[in-house]
Amino acid sequence: MNHSLEKLEKVIVEGAARLLSRASDNHGLKTDTLVPRIRSGVNKYILQDDPQAPREVVADFIDKLQADDLCLIIACEQGDQAAWSDLVERFSTTVRSAARSASSNEEGAEDLAQSIWAELHGLRVREDGKPAGKLAYYSGRGSLAGWLRAVVGQLAIDQHRKQSRLVQTEEDADFDRIIQQGQEETSWSGHGEALDPEAQISRKLAGAQLQKALAESVKRLTPEDRLLVKLYYFDGLRLREAGAVLGVHEATASRRLTRVHTELRDEVQRILVAEGWTKVETERAFSEFAFNLEADIEPMLAGESVLLDKKNEIAR
Amino acid sequence: MKEANNNEVDLLLRSLARRGSSAMSNASSVGNGGGVSDHLDADELNSYAEGVLPVAARARYSAHLADCDDCRRLVVSLNQVAGATTQHATPEKVGANFWQKLAGLFSLPVIRFAVPALMLTAVIGVGLLVFWQQRGRNEVAQSQAPANSSSPSPAFGDSGGTNNQEAPAVAAHNPSPSTSRIDELKTGGAGKNLVEEEKSRDAAAPLVGTELRTDNTPAKDGTPKEAAADSASGYRLEPRPASEPPPPPPAKAMGELAKANDDERAERPAKREDQNRQYEFKGAPNDERGPSRAAQQNNAVVQSAQNGRSGDSITTRSRGQSGLDKNKKTNEVDSRTVAGRRFVRDGDAWVDTAYDSSKTAIRVNRGSEQFRALVADEPAIRTIADQLSGVVIVVWQNRTYRIQ
Repeated sequence: MNHSLEKLEKVIVEGAARLLSRASDNHGLKTDTLVPRIRSGVNKYILQDDPQAPREVVADFIDKLQADDLCLIIACEQGDQAAWSDLVERFSTTVRSAARSASSNEEGAEDLAQSIWAELHGLRVREDGKPAGKLAYYSGRGSLAGWLRAVVGQLAIDQHRKQSRLVQTEEDADFDRIIQQGQEETSWSGHGEALDPEAQISRKLAGAQLQKALAESVKRLTPEDRLLVKLYYFDGLRLREAGAVLGVHEATASRRLTRVHTELRDEVQRILVAEGWTKVETERAFSEFAFNLEADIEPMLAGESVLLDKKNEIAR
Repeated sequence: MKEANNNEVDLLLRSLARRGSSAMSNASSVGNGGGVSDHLDADELNSYAEGVLPVAARARYSAHLADCDDCRRLVVSLNQVAGATTQHATPEKVGANFWQKLAGLFSLPVIRFAVPALMLTAVIGVGLLVFWQQRGRNEVAQSQAPANSSSPSPAFGDSGGTNNQEAPAVAAHNPSPSTSRIDELKTGGAGKNLVEEEKSRDAAAPLVGTELRTDNTPAKDGTPKEAAADSASGYRLEPRPASEPPPPPPAKAMGELAKANDDERAERPAKREDQNRQYEFKGAPNDERGPSRAAQQNNAVVQSAQNGRSGDSITTRSRGQSGLDKNKKTNEVDSRTVAGRRFVRDGDAWVDTAYDSSKTAIRVNRGSEQFRALVADEPAIRTIADQLSGVVIVVWQNRTYRIQ
């Protein structure tokens, strides 16, 4: 065990030396300064999933780190004022842009952009006497600009949550009521049909069971497939955009979605049959509810647009 | 069937998403008291969005992203920015390729073949241009030859009067009436016909009337051949500068023609009368580009007018005016149809196309007692004799008469 750890440590030290030599400006950093940061990244992204990862994999991981960005951030963390000035000068535009995207108004964006530097530097002090800022969490795996955008995004979400907890306005309550009302109006009942009460209840129950089975089937999908379903159906992304998030081509995403449809249908049938349905009943339920949903889709969309309009009005 | 099943699942998923998103938003508002500590950190989010994570770590984070709206939204926005950055960088790459391609077009291996090919194309183009110009000039020269040869034609005006009532009929039988008019003007013998037709203003065809007026226009200036050529070419005539020498005096018939048109002359502007005019083609932009002036003055007026054009005009004319070319070819044959008989010019004689040289012809002198008796019996022969000057060999009712 110790032997393998020593080997790993050697790989990391050698990788750190290579990284310093790769950097166009290493800010006078030493290998010893870099090793803890690199070790942290290796543990997080490789050894956590595969503790016995080959040395080549670790070396490859280190060689793909952003050498210049990582050196700049570590230099800033070490209190190098020149590096800090360089960081602010090079990335203030990126931070401002990310803040504008994350904030609903210009004033909020400016506040966010200003607060990000304090967050990066850290207002508190660690045990070793150095500021406990977010700079310590940059591994160098992705670009520094992307990491800064992510930091800004998270900070915006945090601020929004705090504000949401503090102020639960009457308008929000109204909005929730509107959503609830809209959902009740558009759920499984079908539009313009005069069914007898017994049939309506029976149908609602069947619909609820089908929906529950479908939700359960989605949960049983693999993480990547579930993420695809969430991105496409829940977040409303196009297949191209969803594929980009997953790192696959649009055509691959499309094929994967078709496969997911089949798997979900089979899984729903399996769940419903286990609950006492016959296969014919499940088939009929699928076609019947799909038909009703198709008929209802336009009123639903219209209702959604009304809800969105009201939400926007409340937000203003 | 499978597609229909997929559509059903698709609709159900959409419905679930609508219901599920609100449920999740409610859950999110309730259960997220712990802040972002349970979520992916910025480095993980960014690494995921940029697609630089190892496979195992990526699968781990995918599971979280599938269930966490906030992290997923952040990853989506980061991914879109990263994608936009990549797309922004792509045009630069394309631009570099474009310049590389452009530079490749002017590279030595390409130029080595492209330059000779371009030069060869240019030489062929110039050669074709010169060839077309030469061809146009030759065609003009050929078409002028019969016109010149017909000008010394004898005594068409001596034919002893013209039957005005026959003129429309002649025009009707002639396959190319305008050509015959041009010939008449060129020979000068038709001038009398024109004068008489103009004076009598009989019931000639409108087309013929138009031609006559057109043909008469140059006669006002005493340049009938020029007028004939110009009217045939279809170009509008314009007065030449006064500095140029006047055309040679017209034939005797043209004097008569000019005399007959005194009334029209009176209407013409006085300054045009004062000028010694030659006519040139409006389309000729530069006289210097044509053949030498000395040659023009030595030749007939028609040739002079035609040679006054630029090479381009000649080329255009030879290519574009097929109708004019047809007329000129008809001039070369020089045939006429009178009283239903077709005659071909053979030297000074008009020979019936039905004439058989093996048969003996009956000689009849114009004005003789024999001639009067013949035309009394056969009025059509009188018409033929009147229309055609000089010796006429006509086959009539299986007999051949040589009227001279």
